[in-house]
Amino acid sequence: MTSPASSSSLLQMANCTIRFGGLTAVSELNLSIGQRELVGLIGPNGAGKTTVFNLITGVYQPTSGQINFEDKSTARLNPHQLTRRGIARTFQNIRLFASLSVFDNVRAATQLHRAHGIRDALWRGRSFHDSEKTVETEVMELLEVFQLGKHRDKLAVSLPYGDQRRLEIVRALATRPKLLLLDEPAAGMNPTEKVELMKLIQFIEEKYQISVLLVEHDMQVVMGICRRIIVLDYGVKIAEGNPEEVRKNPKVIEAYLGEEPV
Amino acid sequence: MIRHGSRRWLIAALVAAFAVSWFSTRFNQYYLGIAIDVGINIILAVSLNLINGHTGQFSLGHAGFMAVGGFTAAKLTLLYGESLYPFSLIVGGIMAALAGLLVGIPSLRCKGDYLAIVTLGFGEIIRVIFQNSQFFGAATGLTGIAKLTTFFWAWGIAAVTIYVIAGLVNSTYGRGFLCVHDDEVAASAMGINPLRYKVTAFVIGAFFAGIAGALYAHHKRVLQPDGFNFIKSIDIVVMVILGGMGRTAGVVVAAIILTLLPEVLRSFASYRMIIYSLLIIGLMMGRPQGLFVWPIFKKNAKN
Ligand SMILES: Nc1ncnc2c1ncn2[C@@H]1O[C@H](COP(=O)(O)OP(=O)(O)OP(=O)(O)O)[C@@H](O)[C@H]1O
Ligand SMILES: [Mg+2]
Repeated sequence: MTSPASSSSLLQMANCTIRFGGLTAVSELNLSIGQRELVGLIGPNGAGKTTVFNLITGVYQPTSGQINFEDKSTARLNPHQLTRRGIARTFQNIRLFASLSVFDNVRAATQLHRAHGIRDALWRGRSFHDSEKTVETEVMELLEVFQLGKHRDKLAVSLPYGDQRRLEIVRALATRPKLLLLDEPAAGMNPTEKVELMKLIQFIEEKYQISVLLVEHDMQVVMGICRRIIVLDYGVKIAEGNPEEVRKNPKVIEAYLGEEPV
Repeated sequence: MIRHGSRRWLIAALVAAFAVSWFSTRFNQYYLGIAIDVGINIILAVSLNLINGHTGQFSLGHAGFMAVGGFTAAKLTLLYGESLYPFSLIVGGIMAALAGLLVGIPSLRCKGDYLAIVTLGFGEIIRVIFQNSQFFGAATGLTGIAKLTTFFWAWGIAAVTIYVIAGLVNSTYGRGFLCVHDDEVAASAMGINPLRYKVTAFVIGAFFAGIAGALYAHHKRVLQPDGFNFIKSIDIVVMVILGGMGRTAGVVVAAIILTLLPEVLRSFASYRMIIYSLLIIGLMMGRPQGLFVWPIFKKNAKN
């Protein structure tokens, strides 16, 4: 097992447990993500992967255990506060803003960085227009980088499925995260789209110099781009290591028996 | 509706309202009265639209906020004279906004139907408080209020309301209201604080409802607590639904039509609620997006 370097650690989960009634969804989980690291989180259905995301992003508070982001505790912080601290995510079931255009979906995510407030929005002076201009430039740049610029005025939910997934990633990037959590981004994609997605994730990591935690069922995607993989089963971490180590791990093979071949 | 240079739009609207008001003595006073009613209802509908339409909450308490503004303003001019009228509008708005904050904070932890019930209860409590308050004339309410609301005030403030709310929503800041409407979970994942936006919508919506109440008081000259029962709230909700939740232009048109309709159907006045009900039922079946939402408006629809 690779031991995570604590000095350059971005996110650290220590002994995190969360119970829903009688069900322990995540149990005594230790997980660490370094700066500019691309980590995979895999496991069978119901293993607790999405729950880990919900713990990291403050949707749930752990029943016990400690989560630190940039060496500061995240306890009792709301999701929107954690986004401000630099954690962004996508959702397993796409959650785009349905009544908003592609442009506005991304614009909404620049909220954190806009220079104007409610008073400028009402007064509409020069500083407001300047601020809006900056936002527009930034949003269009992002959309162009991900080839979504031509769709700017379409309703986000009218895009093809693959584009919606991509747009959700772009929207998360617009918050300027340090850590990006992707929950099954390849779900529902065809093989060509999956290859493109792998390139896209690597491109993001390089261009924006951020860390990515990737939940994914598709082993080819995970094994292809993650240098370190963590395997969950029934909320318990059963393996951690590089793709080769994980692939050979007997516990992993057993957990996945009857599912996809690893 | 409001794009760049919207301040110019506002000034033009204010000048127009002033010009019409200048010649208002020449108009049929009955029609002038209805025109002022229309202006007041535009303020009520557009401000409720921020809460129910843009932000996606379900408030049934708008008549309550209106009552707070109306009674506050009327009492002010009754006690301290007519010259306080402009000031009384602002104070009425502020008092209603405080009520909005008061209701907003605890009730926004509820959603959907529960919020509707909480705000409905709030509206009724306000009404009962005024009904039992000797200071505000108890059940008879306030009478002898000076007639100070002119066409200029009603329509000028309607223009300001449209400017403020449409302008607000049509900014990067204001997109937050729509995000909260669409998906609170996704909104908070984008760094938007849903609670804060919801309370802000309530406070701003209540502020304008309070001003509308103040205008109303100085238009009708009598205020009775019974006039602010939940049916009044529902009237305003109907305007928002009919106009197409979150569509400012549609809501303005709906406010105009629904104010004129009872006048046109004056001889059937007692059937008014039946017509309303039929309208809503017909609308829900035929045009669930609202009467005035057409595909060509889609792109700019959220202004
Ligand atoms: N809010 C909740 N209340 C009760 N149980 C929950 C809640 N959220 C998750 N669970 C349970 O926790 C377990 C882990 O769920 P989770 O969604 O994290 O799994 P997952 O690994 O993401 O699975 P999948 O691959 O199907 O997305 C499941 O048994 C689920 O039913
Ligand atoms: Mg999941």
